[in-house]
Amino acid sequence: MIIAERKPFAEIKAALEPYEKILIVGCGTCVAVCLAGGEKEVGLLASQIKLARGQNGKPVKVGEITVERQCDREFMQPLSDAVADYEIVLSTACGAGVQFLAAMPEMKPVIPALNTTFIGVNEEAGFYTERCRACHNCYLGTTGGICPVTMCPKGLLNGPCGGNLKGKCEVNPDNDCAWCAIYERLDRQGRLDLIDPILPLHPHARTTTPGAIIHPAYKRRYGGHE
Amino acid sequence: MSKLQEALAGGKFPIVVEIKPPKGIDPEAMLAPVKSLNGRVTAFSIPDNEHAKMRLSPVAAAQLVKAAGAEPMIHLTCRDRNRLALESELLGAAALGVENVLIVSGDFVNQGDHPDAKPVYDADSVQLLQIAKGMMAGHDSAGNELKGAPRFYLGAVAIPEADPLGPQLLKVKKKTAAGVDFLITAPVYDLTKLQEFRQKLGAGAAIIATVKVPKAAEVEQALQGKLRKVYTLPASVAQELKADDPAEIEKKGAALAARLLKEIKAKNLADGVYLKARGKGELMAAILEQAGI
Ligand code: SF4
Ligand code: SF4
Repeated sequence: MIIAERKPFAEIKAALEPYEKILIVGCGTCVAVCLAGGEKEVGLLASQIKLARGQNGKPVKVGEITVERQCDREFMQPLSDAVADYEIVLSTACGAGVQFLAAMPEMKPVIPALNTTFIGVNEEAGFYTERCRACHNCYLGTTGGICPVTMCPKGLLNGPCGGNLKGKCEVNPDNDCAWCAIYERLDRQGRLDLIDPILPLHPHARTTTPGAIIHPAYKRRYGGHE
Repeated sequence: MSKLQEALAGGKFPIVVEIKPPKGIDPEAMLAPVKSLNGRVTAFSIPDNEHAKMRLSPVAAAQLVKAAGAEPMIHLTCRDRNRLALESELLGAAALGVENVLIVSGDFVNQGDHPDAKPVYDADSVQLLQIAKGMMAGHDSAGNELKGAPRFYLGAVAIPEADPLGPQLLKVKKKTAAGVDFLITAPVYDLTKLQEFRQKLGAGAAIIATVKVPKAAEVEQALQGKLRKVYTLPASVAQELKADDPAEIEKKGAALAARLLKEIKAKNLADGVYLKARGKGELMAAILEQAGI
């Protein structure tokens, strides 16, 4: 899932300074799971804003609404009506959700409440770690299910750099060296031959942004060529 | 053919010394060892933004070394350039007659003085070796033909004391498969480690062993068992180097380096030596003197 974290409150507060009618729009999917932008976090943020304004003696009206997903039009229709009474929308979605929301017809200006960080996993309650950089050319099949693009900060495709120490990464000794881990797992599985061939340069042309994918079954509908 | 290649091919036990490009534009200190040692050593090696700290460009430094009448070796790091920049840098080096190129992944940007810089690593060291080989065969990494093929003598790094060793041997195997000509080791103080590593590698690229004058801080860390490096400085050796005055540690370190150099040569533990003495000409001269070179 997408992992994000809340921006520092001071930054949010400063961005909202000129406005009196604020609608906070939460997202019920990834950012709810990582406790950054779901219904509960929207409620907390609303209280924080009201409290801060109260201390400054400045009036404010804060509305709250959380949709299932801000990255899916299907769930966003009710927002068109909800924003009518507000001057500004504070979105607690990931960067994709914020943009989809901001592009809706009749939408008020939207500002982000989160910093979107990575595609990752839920290690334990409140602890999330990165796993994938969406490189468009997945290597996991030959690297023992450990991503060399993401788990190695240098994204090396052909074995470790010279900096690892006792299997820990040069860049951050709290982390395992991805290539030591890949080697160890494949060795255990008796599949070390998988990493013998030299992997070629990564096809970065594929990663040119913004990416777009049309599912094969929908090619005709969107005018793609089969 | 570079002098280094000639010396290694002829079993002449070349000495390569590392010089330090300035953080600025005055090359005088960098060139001091070149002036004092030229003729006594085979080549002068120029790191590429070593430890991710920005310094004068190796290709420019190599030209200055050549102008001083000596043979350069440049390092080329994958950290700072994408494939276009790496290839054009290689062409630039070749056009200036620089053949010795040491290809390195490069310490991560967080180790250096521009921690917010974008780390590139478009190619890794194995792929960059392949790119350079391809250029020697007359084409760039996209398959486009070059007008005039460059000539290189290509090196890479090997870590004899890597722990775990398996992944390191995999990497060296790939570097060899990519056609590397010589391998420069991480510093070695315990020469049995060098010997064991060499046996594991078998025949292949020439091995140039790194002899380094340890820093006072490293000696201190080694004594406390806290040295976090890809090489070890045995406690017994660190004990010998111990002194209150850093200048005394340096002097003892130079004697140690001379002893290692001599032994590597006498026992044929490597095909040559790479000397790291903080770019200090007098220190290097003292080491060569004591080693009888
Ligand atoms: S190789 Fe890594 S970054 Fe690429 S798709 Fe697979 S998991 Fe993601
Ligand atoms: S230590 Fe391992 S994971 Fe860290 S940068 Fe080097 S190869 Fe990558």
